[in-house]
Amino acid sequence: MSTIKTENITKQFEGVHALDGVSLEIPRGRVTGIVGPNGSGKTTLVNVLSGIVRQDAGVLHIGGKEVSILKPQQVNAHGITRTFQEVRLFEQMTVLDNILVVVTERAVAASLFRRRQERCDREARQALETVGLWEKRSSPAAALSYGQRKLLEIARVLAMREAEVYLFDEPFAGLFPAMVDVVVKVMQGLKQEGKSVVLIEHSMDLIRQLCDTVIVMDEGKLLAQGTPETVFAKPEVIAIYVGK
Amino acid sequence: MQELIYYFTHLAIIIGIYAILALGLNLVVGYTGLLSVMHAAFYGVGAYATALLMTQLGFNFFIATGLSVVIAIVLSFAIGLVLSRFDGDYYALGSLGFGVILYSVFLSWRGVTRGALGIPQIPKPELFGFEFSQITVFLLLVVVLAAGVYLCSRFVTRSSFGRVLMAIREDERAIQVFGYNTLYFKLTVFVIGAGIAAIAGALFASYITYINPSSFTAMESIYLLSIIILGGLASLRGSVLGAVFLVVLFEGLRHIGLSSDMAAHMREALYGVILVALMLYRPQGLVGKYKL
Amino acid sequence: MSDVVMQLVVNSITAGALYAIIAIGFTLSYGVGKFFNLAHGVMTAIGAYAVFYLTKGLQIEAWLAVFIAIIFTGAVGWLLERYIYAPLRARKASTMVLLVASLGAFTALQGVLSILFSSQVQTLTQGSAVQQVVAFAGATITEIQIITIITAIATLLGFVVLLRYTLFGKSVRAVSDDEEVSKIVGINTTRVIGVVFFLAAATAGLAGILVGFDTAIEPTMGMALLLKGVIAAIVGGIGNIYGAVLGALLLGFVENFGIWKIAGEWKDAIAFALLIAFLLFRPHGILNKKS
Repeated sequence: MSTIKTENITKQFEGVHALDGVSLEIPRGRVTGIVGPNGSGKTTLVNVLSGIVRQDAGVLHIGGKEVSILKPQQVNAHGITRTFQEVRLFEQMTVLDNILVVVTERAVAASLFRRRQERCDREARQALETVGLWEKRSSPAAALSYGQRKLLEIARVLAMREAEVYLFDEPFAGLFPAMVDVVVKVMQGLKQEGKSVVLIEHSMDLIRQLCDTVIVMDEGKLLAQGTPETVFAKPEVIAIYVGK
Repeated sequence: MQELIYYFTHLAIIIGIYAILALGLNLVVGYTGLLSVMHAAFYGVGAYATALLMTQLGFNFFIATGLSVVIAIVLSFAIGLVLSRFDGDYYALGSLGFGVILYSVFLSWRGVTRGALGIPQIPKPELFGFEFSQITVFLLLVVVLAAGVYLCSRFVTRSSFGRVLMAIREDERAIQVFGYNTLYFKLTVFVIGAGIAAIAGALFASYITYINPSSFTAMESIYLLSIIILGGLASLRGSVLGAVFLVVLFEGLRHIGLSSDMAAHMREALYGVILVALMLYRPQGLVGKYKL
Repeated sequence: MSDVVMQLVVNSITAGALYAIIAIGFTLSYGVGKFFNLAHGVMTAIGAYAVFYLTKGLQIEAWLAVFIAIIFTGAVGWLLERYIYAPLRARKASTMVLLVASLGAFTALQGVLSILFSSQVQTLTQGSAVQQVVAFAGATITEIQIITIITAIATLLGFVVLLRYTLFGKSVRAVSDDEEVSKIVGINTTRVIGVVFFLAAATAGLAGILVGFDTAIEPTMGMALLLKGVIAAIVGGIGNIYGAVLGALLLGFVENFGIWKIAGEWKDAIAFALLIAFLLFRPHGILNKKS
């Protein structure tokens, strides 16, 4: 059973194939790692999955429904949420507001008139406490350190209780070891709740520790998919890491 | 003494009208980050619609105002649909364009607006036989409406809706990823801003009793923009403060012995210098919370 | 072709030529500065009033006055860049901040002109001298209009030669491409940008002077001319000087043929309708295809 299924996804930027006929399935309730050299199409894949970039060709299914031509806000309604490689926060808003803004009503009229203050506050607090940023709730996001900014972004997707699939684009990059532990716990927690987690990561140790499945990409193509043990034993996978 | 009271009441009315305009514009520019340079055009739509409904069709002021707000809302909805396709600097240029086009309509649709001649003899408001002809009573009306607009703006900005507006300002793409259709939010706030401007226009038309296109130029839009940048973006108090400053500065210049013309030029020069200085040294304005 | 159409063609080309002079400078300063420099518009009024002051106030000969006025206007443009835009860019201010700052500079300088010269309409021509009119294929064209067209062509050629064949032009193109990289390879980007703003302001001043000799001047003349220049630059594809000229000509034609059947006051509305149509359907202009 898979949550996400792609068929022949292709995307070109100025003639360069960022994705070249990628067909894959991401299993439900598992942690899936995407690895591959820089420029292999990992982020583009996540961008297509989250609706930020539209593929030139190919079909995308989420939870059994075809979602190939959806806008980002519609993809979100199918239970997909994500973080960004280059952290994208609402810089001049407070830490708390950065979280609250994603847990409140999506419709205009409801957001104006219906107040679910208590529930929202509780959910936001929970998310911030998980990553240890509750104390910082009143300071603007722009005032946080680099690591704290990454954690805030992770708290922001955590707060999206209704999401089924969590896409993390290099969540560990530049984090201190203590922060890495926090993020590892977050992902393990999500898995325990039966959510699907997809993460792009360079550290093989973290991939082995966290992932049930690994997808290896190279030059826009899917090179291999399977458990970490089997995938990292394949000669073509070893070749791209040793050979380059 | 009588004259002095009259004079200050007059100033308070003008400040009130500018405060209403600034509050509406700040929702669009300060909170949502859409650099609209056409606010004076919606102000004009409100003024012209009210004036025409009252003088041509004999409508009561309050009904005319309500209808002119509806007209401004419909118009701004259509324009907002087009503008929402642009962002940043291009939004500014596109909105400036619509402002100039609406100004051309005021000036050139002579059959209806009487062009540069303007519309004279606009009546004062009347409610159940009571006429707001006395200046102090008119001030009361302005204060009530301004307070209403202030509270309404506060309601908007403190709701979840207001928080989404700020998120759109900070990073529109990111907030879309979290499931918000930003088009609806941008349209809604633009329409609210235009409706509020129409109220100010109705008050202006009825108070001055004469309107012509020269009050609704692109330059006027730029003045309104500088009011909120000076007072403070994303700050309701800043909007009011900016309006007070604009009116008081002009009157102050007249009182040091400058002619009306010279005071206007001096104010223009000072406003430009203030804008530049703010951008260089204090981009959030006097009491603002948000830097462009 | 009927005489009316011929006359409209002539009017379109003269208007287009004037807009082109303004648009070239605007588009070049956008290229290196990467923001809409709205103060570009007021440079037209500064140039025109400088000539007004020099010829009528100081009784200097016209050709010398024009020369001094152009240099003076360029210097004002350079000063704005040096003391307002450059510091803002250095602290990575957003393009909106730069746009608002340039709007402030526009308003301030326009206010100063009004204070110094009053908002009265003035002329640059001496007395009531009637302009020389040349008949041309059923249409008439004034001498100053011919000069405007020649000036536009000269401005375009001048900038093309400057950008294509000189070391300075190479630096300008490098800075337009990427300021950071240009800095790294040793280009004095501050100086290059300063010179571009000088040249842009100087040509805008020249355009204002031409308007002054053709019709009349007032302190607020800059806004309308700026908007026409901006529209031409965007319609042509911002940053591209050939595009700016094409855009200016297109704007001239659309405006003049647009008002053929409807009243002249709609000129500005027509110009902006053109801009909005382009922003919607061809946001990168006539020439640029890249998104």
